[in-house]
Amino acid sequence: MDYAFFLGCMIPLRSPQLEAAARKDCEILGIGLKEMHGASCCPDPVAIQSLGIETWLTIGARNLCIAEKMGLNVMTICSGCFETLKTVHVMLKRDKRYFDMVNEILGKIGYEFRGTSKVYHITEILSDKKMLEKIKDSVKVPLEGITLASHPGCHLIRPSKILEFDDPERPEVMDKILKTLGAEVKQYAEKVTCCGYCARLNEDIGDNLCEIKFNDLVKNQIDALITVCPACTSQYDLHGRKIARKSDKPMEIPVIHLPEIMALAFGINPKSENMDIMKRAIKPRKLLEKLKIEI
Amino acid sequence: MEKTQEIIKSTDLISDLRYQISNQIGAKSLLACIQCGICSSSCTVSEYIDLQPHRVVACLLLGLKDKILNSNAIWYCSLCHRCTERCPKNVDYSFILALLRNMAVKEGNMPPEYEITINNLLEHGFTVPYAGMMKKSIDRNREKFNLPEIVTPNLEEIEFIVKETGLKKILEDAKKGKKKEVKT
Repeated sequence: MDYAFFLGCMIPLRSPQLEAAARKDCEILGIGLKEMHGASCCPDPVAIQSLGIETWLTIGARNLCIAEKMGLNVMTICSGCFETLKTVHVMLKRDKRYFDMVNEILGKIGYEFRGTSKVYHITEILSDKKMLEKIKDSVKVPLEGITLASHPGCHLIRPSKILEFDDPERPEVMDKILKTLGAEVKQYAEKVTCCGYCARLNEDIGDNLCEIKFNDLVKNQIDALITVCPACTSQYDLHGRKIARKSDKPMEIPVIHLPEIMALAFGINPKSENMDIMKRAIKPRKLLEKLKIEI
Repeated sequence: MEKTQEIIKSTDLISDLRYQISNQIGAKSLLACIQCGICSSSCTVSEYIDLQPHRVVACLLLGLKDKILNSNAIWYCSLCHRCTERCPKNVDYSFILALLRNMAVKEGNMPPEYEITINNLLEHGFTVPYAGMMKKSIDRNREKFNLPEIVTPNLEEIEFIVKETGLKKILEDAKKGKKKEVKT
């Protein structure tokens, strides 16, 4: 199955190693990714939406038009992009007045939004029953003896009336995928706690939310926190290191993007042209030791 | 502790404020609010804000525009969408909050962090700068992973959309407003 691959900004420009791992996973699993030439920022569901809803809707619809021209559904590896594009798609299809307004502007630059391309986060594509079988067959280094915790984050699961993905209070899709890779997945109290990245106008919020999260992860003896969004990933990675430095307890828990841990289980060299597992503040040395992977 | 009561004058109320919001996309449900407060009890940032979500909605329904726009509640939201998720009347509070931010921005209250983001989008097509030395370092980084070249979107199209949707003028006005402030 082919998808129009929507890259966004944070991953391709700041963390290309996450994109590389996702591309390798998709290659192994037979998921075809086609480039969306001309796509812009999704746009950002916080800043741009806060400045002007019409601007946000219209730029989002322009991106979707590119996928429509390709005749493909969209796949993203960022929860922010997923939230924006899916919300734009769903809301414009529900609201004729805004649908027409957006198309009036887009028409002047040669686009027409029809709403024919659906929007998926990679997690949804990977969690398909047949895909899980394929994943199981592709595992070369089972994550046995490893305890993981998943962080679905807010913009993958809420609001469920629009995103229609997983249980918004007790999410389990990510866990299903991680179990298929051979890992033990622990349920923990702060699983659906927000990372605070989007509340960036007050830094205390992010600091405190991350501390709550890490305290719970340490209590549960988690080997790595698995994320599906570049914002959550960098938020926890940077705050995690800060918290660990302040604390006298061992608090260093690496934060790893789902496609990266999958590539690791698929036997991909962790420091190669396909991924770079050490490119983060909290290095997953202990995790690699447990898996007997040398770099 | 003695509680001081706030007196609201009827002349301070903007009677159609609720419709200014509910007429916009995704916000019609605002009028269905029953003030149960589940949004506030679910709120990630409730301990940081000076006006709880259900109170923001109450002020909106009453027409207390300044009280809302002067509150930090509209800016500190972490957009976790738990309020929207749990509302028994399907009020999309986090979306309504975005519309309130739009209203504040129109009145010249633009957070500098967001201004940087829109300027990056206009200049580069992305929220991360992609030009000059930055571009070189990004390209080198991508080459290491054999990733395809980044294709910058047509910036004229992005600018056209920002202009047609009225945001360009708001940005220009905000700039002018700042210059005036500096002068005085």
